[in-house]
Amino acid sequence: MLDRRIRVKGLKKLGGSSYLLILKAAEQARLVLPGQFVMLKCAPGLNDPPLLRRPFSVFDTDPSPRTNKPRGLVLLIKDVGVGSHALAALTPGQEVFTLGPQGRPFDVSLELGSRVAVACLVAGGVGIAALYLLARRFLEIGVKPVLFYGGRSAADLVLREYFERLGMDTWYTTEDGTLGEAGVVTRPLETFLRGRVRSGVRLYACGPWEMMKATHAVAQKLQVPCEVSLEARMGCSLGACMGCVVRTLDDAGDEQYLRVCLEGPVMDSRKIDWGTPPV
Amino acid sequence: MDLGNMQYNKGKSKADQPPRLEVEISGIKFKNPVMTASGTFAYGLEFAHLVDLNAIGGIVVKGISLRPIKGNPPPRIWETASGMLNAIGWQNIGATEFVTKKLPGLHKFETNIIVNIVGFDLEDYLEVARFLNDCPGIAALELNISCPNVKKGGFHFNKDPRDAHHVTARTKQVCTRLPLWVKLSPNVTDIGEFARACEDAGADALSVINTIVGMAIDIERRIPRLRFVTGGLSGPAIKPVALRMVWDTCRAVKIPVIGVGGIATVEDALEFLMAGARAVQVGTANFYNPAASEQIAHGLAAYCRTHRIEDINQVIGSLSI
Repeated sequence: MLDRRIRVKGLKKLGGSSYLLILKAAEQARLVLPGQFVMLKCAPGLNDPPLLRRPFSVFDTDPSPRTNKPRGLVLLIKDVGVGSHALAALTPGQEVFTLGPQGRPFDVSLELGSRVAVACLVAGGVGIAALYLLARRFLEIGVKPVLFYGGRSAADLVLREYFERLGMDTWYTTEDGTLGEAGVVTRPLETFLRGRVRSGVRLYACGPWEMMKATHAVAQKLQVPCEVSLEARMGCSLGACMGCVVRTLDDAGDEQYLRVCLEGPVMDSRKIDWGTPPV
Repeated sequence: MDLGNMQYNKGKSKADQPPRLEVEISGIKFKNPVMTASGTFAYGLEFAHLVDLNAIGGIVVKGISLRPIKGNPPPRIWETASGMLNAIGWQNIGATEFVTKKLPGLHKFETNIIVNIVGFDLEDYLEVARFLNDCPGIAALELNISCPNVKKGGFHFNKDPRDAHHVTARTKQVCTRLPLWVKLSPNVTDIGEFARACEDAGADALSVINTIVGMAIDIERRIPRLRFVTGGLSGPAIKPVALRMVWDTCRAVKIPVIGVGGIATVEDALEFLMAGARAVQVGTANFYNPAASEQIAHGLAAYCRTHRIEDINQVIGSLSI
């Protein structure tokens, strides 16, 4: 994990209130694993408000088109609060304080490639940010990734073209029916899984709590493993403040509070007490 | 040669001599008066890749109870204007795991390890104090009788100075080897009264202050931002209150006072030292600037050099009214 000031390369508007923030950070880009995040200070000075840095999933590593070498961090920012608003106003050349990359990544060992036939990536809204590096990694280890991507409206389903460019099969859903199937994202997921040999299928979800809870329910019903990438309000991301915990239950039903920053953000969905959202 | 240059050259020979930053608290020598505050620096090791732990005077580790504590349900934190609220509820790994898994790693660093101790009742405090009193590698214990985020214990000892006296006196009896510091609560009418009670009971030093009880509400859902409803406010927002309470405490007692509360910069640290604090603890700033304590320690040396102060003790209590 690195505590550095890094330079903004650019900002790409995606429509609506979403942006891609591209940072020149080759060192961090080489280190990052699928599912990890970085903390960004959303103000010019460390002691300026908002005080606490905010966590952002690393969407991509800005690979060089010529050499494919990672050159930086690409982060999905939704301009919704004070912090993200300040980030959206950044201009190329400005510097931003970052801490990371960090957090428990998705399990994508090479050895997994021989056991997984289909990896179902399930995204809700900005949760898509945690899944692109994962899709790329699966393709590298010879696993077929497919994408189920839901949102409120067509404008919420940003960055679809990145996944389509990888040649992935994609299913889209929107609550208002403006893109893909109308309804929730777990519906096409269940249809896809029904009647399929389920050994070798794994689910990977990131999005709103209720969406991940529903994905976990599908995984339980069909007896397939499921990893989720959790969101929590973080104080430090170093395991010190104990603020970002999620309630988990072990096999004996004993509760434990695990830190999303250290023991997560990626966790086995069976561990989590889905009745107690962390925010 | 103009005057500015002359002054610069005159100061240069002194500037070559590094200023003395050592302070002494309860018989322990600190290489400088900067520590990290309990609950904001984990067990220290978690920050070792981001901060030079050898550059700071001490580390006050996360509050430890004899047995592990699970803590409060989330949400546990909420950011406020220049600060944050927390209601963690003493989640910690327990004394045995701390001593076997964390303390050996801390021995590698040349800094003082102070262990903050917590408990739900008097017996809890005595048990954990007895256990840690015999462990090598600990410089002092800091008795936490001021956490606002547990329903019983801790906080209860702030209601009446006689209770604070009692828990301090009894814990001091079992601390046969280690100095005992007491961390005071700001959620009282007269902090001087509590400070004197603890001093009378044998406390070797006082850490002032713990967090201030606060609250925040989600106006859309009409529910508290924290599941515990109330929480402890920390960060730069509380610095003026902490400074005033350190000032009051320093006038009330003779034992050393350690200033805590919203310290994020070297200027903040200097204010506390001038008000009479023998040392400072950096808290919430560690969350957003992990190297804050190290930067403050270096900043104190730089301040002494530019102001031609040979010894930091000349700054302590130097406020003129």
